[in-house]
Amino acid sequence: MSAENHIVIIGSGGAGSEAALTIRQRDPDCHITQITGSKLPFISRYELPQVFNGVSGWRELLAEPPEYYDKNQITVRRNSWVDHVDAKNKKVLLKHKEEVSYDKLLVASGGGGYLPEGLREFQPLMNGFGTYEQAVKVRQALPKKGHVIMLGGDMTGLDLARTLVAVGHRVSLVVGEQLFWPHEVTDDQRAKFVSVLEDMGIKVMIDKKVTAVKLGGRGKPARRVVFDGGGGIDGDVVMPFCGLMPSLNFMIGADVDIERGLLVNPELKTTNDSIWAAGDVCQIWSPEENSYLFYYGWHYIKEMGKIAAINMTGGKKKISTYQDDHLYINKQGEIDSPYWMYR
Amino acid sequence: MTRNGGKETDIQIAICGSAGDGTIAAGDILKRAMAKAGYKVIAFDVYPPEIRGFGKCISRVRVKSEQAFSLKPLSDVLISLDDSHAIPHVVEVKEFGAVIYEDTPVSMIPEGGHISGHLLSSHIPYGVPFRELSERVTSSARSRNITAVGYLAGLYGMPREVFYDVISDKFKTKPASLTRISIEAFDAAYVVGQDTFRLDEGFLNPPPNKARNGDLMMMSGNGAIARGCMDAGLDTFFGYPITPATTIMERLATELPAKGKRMLQTEDEISAISAAIGAAYAGARAATATSGPGFALMSEMMGLGVMAEVPVVIFVSQRGGPSTGMPTKTEQSDLNIAVFGSAGDGQRIVLAPTNVEGCYKCAGKAFEIAERYQTPVVVLLDLYLSNRYEAVELPANNPFKANCSKPTGKLKKNQPYHRFEITRDFISPRAIPGDKGFRHTVTGLEHDENGRPNDHVHQEMSHKRHEKLLPVARHPGITMSKRFGDKGKVDVAIIGWGSTFGEILEAMIAAREEGIRCAAMKVVLLSPLPLGPINALLGDARKVLVPELNYEGQFANLLTGATGRLVTKLNRVTGTPMHVQDILDEIRRLAGKKKGRQLAAE
Ligand SMILES: Cc1cc2nc3c(=O)[nH]c(=O)nc-3n(C[C@H](O)[C@H](O)[C@H](O)COP(=O)(O)OP(=O)(O)OC[C@H]3O[C@@H](n4cnc5c(N)ncnc54)[C@H](O)[C@@H]3O)c2cc1C
Repeated sequence: MSAENHIVIIGSGGAGSEAALTIRQRDPDCHITQITGSKLPFISRYELPQVFNGVSGWRELLAEPPEYYDKNQITVRRNSWVDHVDAKNKKVLLKHKEEVSYDKLLVASGGGGYLPEGLREFQPLMNGFGTYEQAVKVRQALPKKGHVIMLGGDMTGLDLARTLVAVGHRVSLVVGEQLFWPHEVTDDQRAKFVSVLEDMGIKVMIDKKVTAVKLGGRGKPARRVVFDGGGGIDGDVVMPFCGLMPSLNFMIGADVDIERGLLVNPELKTTNDSIWAAGDVCQIWSPEENSYLFYYGWHYIKEMGKIAAINMTGGKKKISTYQDDHLYINKQGEIDSPYWMYR
Repeated sequence: MTRNGGKETDIQIAICGSAGDGTIAAGDILKRAMAKAGYKVIAFDVYPPEIRGFGKCISRVRVKSEQAFSLKPLSDVLISLDDSHAIPHVVEVKEFGAVIYEDTPVSMIPEGGHISGHLLSSHIPYGVPFRELSERVTSSARSRNITAVGYLAGLYGMPREVFYDVISDKFKTKPASLTRISIEAFDAAYVVGQDTFRLDEGFLNPPPNKARNGDLMMMSGNGAIARGCMDAGLDTFFGYPITPATTIMERLATELPAKGKRMLQTEDEISAISAAIGAAYAGARAATATSGPGFALMSEMMGLGVMAEVPVVIFVSQRGGPSTGMPTKTEQSDLNIAVFGSAGDGQRIVLAPTNVEGCYKCAGKAFEIAERYQTPVVVLLDLYLSNRYEAVELPANNPFKANCSKPTGKLKKNQPYHRFEITRDFISPRAIPGDKGFRHTVTGLEHDENGRPNDHVHQEMSHKRHEKLLPVARHPGITMSKRFGDKGKVDVAIIGWGSTFGEILEAMIAAREEGIRCAAMKVVLLSPLPLGPINALLGDARKVLVPELNYEGQFANLLTGATGRLVTKLNRVTGTPMHVQDILDEIRRLAGKKKGRQLAAE
């Protein structure tokens, strides 16, 4: 492959980073540019709860040291947001009004926390947990033995809840539809898993509908969550964990098919010949299910990055669209899953 | 609250833009505000060549809790006001340092033209809508530079009030609305900075609370020269503009007339020194200022000043030479012409301050010394020292003496006055034209004690002109040389002069921290050399290193000529200050600590 071949990857999460390395291993000459909104080099999201576990600076969480990118000649353009993709002219337009040309494009822009309609107006009073900065803000907002109110209860929040309880904070979980997302559980299983959460010390509140998140009253914790029909609870931090939403607005009008995610075949190619997608942003055609499905979890995300990279560099490999997603209680008595990875 | 375990603050900020972006003004506000807040500050601006009036400007400001001696080779923060100029300087930002830039440009940027694409993997990017912030508050993009400073101040939690004071002071002669909108622009960006999550590793602890004897002021080398001149009671100044000396004249052009004194821009440098010699001969405290090419023109009249024993002061700010050379780049290559330039044995006194405070001292003391020893005094600066700013604590009481001439006393009736009398200390009592009964002749020809032309006394008079200068090394109130570091025997002695001494001192401190026995000496009096302390240090040193910004090693040669001791030369003529690292590497090598690449000539 020639040195002019420019592969651009949007996103520096697990999928994008795995892809960058795989491409470099398969093609020492091509030019690789990762474009990411993140200010920091890649930090795995599932490491973020460690900020409550003695990690004092972001350098301790880096997946790779800064030299890694130089050594592998991977240009990472941080703090750069993609505004639009001009698939016809093979250009990525950045928010700061710079165009970046590509020969092949991998979209690995992941997803942001999904917020149900009814909660959106309260977003300024809630804390996200998708980046290092957000994680530290939660830590700073929490007093000793602080109280975190989690809304929803998807899997991304449960790992954090575990850590928070372990380091002496209190966690109340106001259960929503997304409990245990992305896993689907039966009512029986649900009751069993909820009791595991309670055994862990998490206060689980079922059948409560949140109508508002407010500032706390004088001399009270900083936030109050109000329930339908009156009543509510006070906490220091309110965090929504209601599943993820693919980040792909910038792909609208980019000559690719989109449903909720970017649609790709099992080779992870989109409907455009020069564009691939991997990670939380894409829905993969599952011949077994005869529909496009989302696949989550750390192992699978990395696998997607790798397979997209192989196919972008002349390979022809399909990803397995079978995923064992059953949730179970492991020997340590913890909720576990074959594909959702824990530290 | 202190950060980083209460470690000493030491943060360097570089602001880079195009002429017209307000880069230097932004740096100026920053450095003055930080000095006002009580930090030690050292700052240096690099402009494009003035003749063209466009191009790259960089302002570098180092903020410390303790005295800084030089700028650091790598900055902690780079602010880009123009990416096309700033991109090459990204590599001058240290690991885990910050790069702050515009992220709302007006028009499309060519691919690769945005600085975010050029950061090193460890740098922290902060994109800021400078233009939008400025337009929102001031309805114009012209305050982008102020928003950049505001953002920085908010990001690092710098106190706002000192910035308000400095901005108000900066625009005090402009319409009041300008101050108001500038402060509003500053504030708008300050809040954005405050709300930004800090990820870089720079930090700013509160300044130490130290009692002071005098005023702490932010001054440039040239500003300190002008202030020293004024405090020493300069009566008259003649000059012709030349980079980097012009600002001395500009400053004096407003300050001298305000005190009822005079400044005249002459038609060239020959006229400037001629007029200054004339005024000094007539009893005024007189001076001129120039750079290498102007000083070359002055060298003939330097000879007259020496021969006629006229107490004139010449400030020479060196730049890259020879000829027009590199007008906006620093160098220390006019030492030879300062010490030797002119016909014949041109004994004169040459002083070279090593920092801004030294500029003030040397400027004022130069007049005392010129009068006391009746000879031209050259004060050697260079672009790096002339243009660099430091927070200087000036003495509360004026340290300079008026009229230091050796008095004539009363003449007995019919006793003739010998203007050039050879006395025990070889200094003649000095009368000035018009002193009743002290009629005398002054000439550029060799002359006898009476001032009458006479070739036969050349040996004695040369001896007089040489010997009279020697006690200058002990002139009160000025440090002519100073040793720092280890006492007694050392592995390496580093001897330096002028602006380079800051880097030498930093390198010496770093070397000692590594366990190398070493000492550094600054030599302020370059002619006649203070051989006592120099020889004492040479006697203690196993190896001697002389770093300087010229190609030939002019000071090293001067030292070897005067002492017979061979020294190791470290020379750079890159137009930029010497790198501390280069000096440190050389010290290590000479101390046998590391087998580095050899940088210096032995
Ligand atoms: C809080 C949280 C906790 C999780 N914990 C676990 C866990 O414990 N175990 C597990 O197996 N999985 C966990 N997951 C899921 C797993 O981490 C995700 O599936 C995985 O991070 C997705 O990787 P990705 O590369 O697709 O996207 P991401 O990691 O989301 O990365 C997306 C990248 O795209 C960039 N980006 C997005 N939009 C743009 C744009 N417009 N312009 C430029 N750049 C853009 C972002 O800056 C980011 O760099 C967690 C997810 C979250 C959110």
